[in-house]
Amino acid sequence: MRIGFMVGILGGILLAHAGYATIQYRGMLKIVEEEFSRPPMNVVVELLLGLAFCIWAALAAPAKFRSIHPDSEENRIVSLPANLDFMIFNHRGKVFPCNAEYKLKK
Amino acid sequence: MAREGDRGASGGAEDDPPIFNAENLQSNIKSIHYSRTFLSIIGGVIAGIWGFTGLTGFIFYFLVMAAASFGLAAKAKFSICTYFDSWNRIFLDGIFGGLMSFVLFWTYPLKTTFW
Repeated sequence: MRIGFMVGILGGILLAHAGYATIQYRGMLKIVEEEFSRPPMNVVVELLLGLAFCIWAALAAPAKFRSIHPDSEENRIVSLPANLDFMIFNHRGKVFPCNAEYKLKK
Repeated sequence: MAREGDRGASGGAEDDPPIFNAENLQSNIKSIHYSRTFLSIIGGVIAGIWGFTGLTGFIFYFLVMAAASFGLAAKAKFSICTYFDSWNRIFLDGIFGGLMSFVLFWTYPLKTTFW
């Protein structure tokens, strides 16, 4: 996630630089009184690079997707709550076969 | 046996609607929303600096959103059913909401750099 933020900031810096370069280019064209329609090629490359970095950051920085199936491996409820006062262990569940392979996830 | 986070309706024995972990689903939807909003803003800034006007700008926006949809599908390892309840979450949700942010951030750089 941190790398995602860094890449996003880098993309933003590239875009800011591209914007600044375009303003400078426009100023220069005003001096020579030429018409302009788009920024120069290197600015376009910089914009596309910034877009690529920002797309990557937008996908990497937010939280990872978590499975919505209740019986998937990452949704197992294996940790005991901190307050055991209301937990009852002497119930009918003791007749179920015990799966000794389940371990407590840290 | 009640499980933490289950909110789906469990109907009769036949035709059970799928039960899913609503907390995780909400987290996934929020994650998509952040991604799309950020990319709408970035797309607007790029469209403004590049000098797109009129329909070209909107086409650029939908191209960026299509790239974002593909990226989100890849992030979900192309198995949408594991992380979302429908395909629309990845491909349609948030596109028209982001359009307003796009237009807002499109007009400011366009005005600054070109007009």
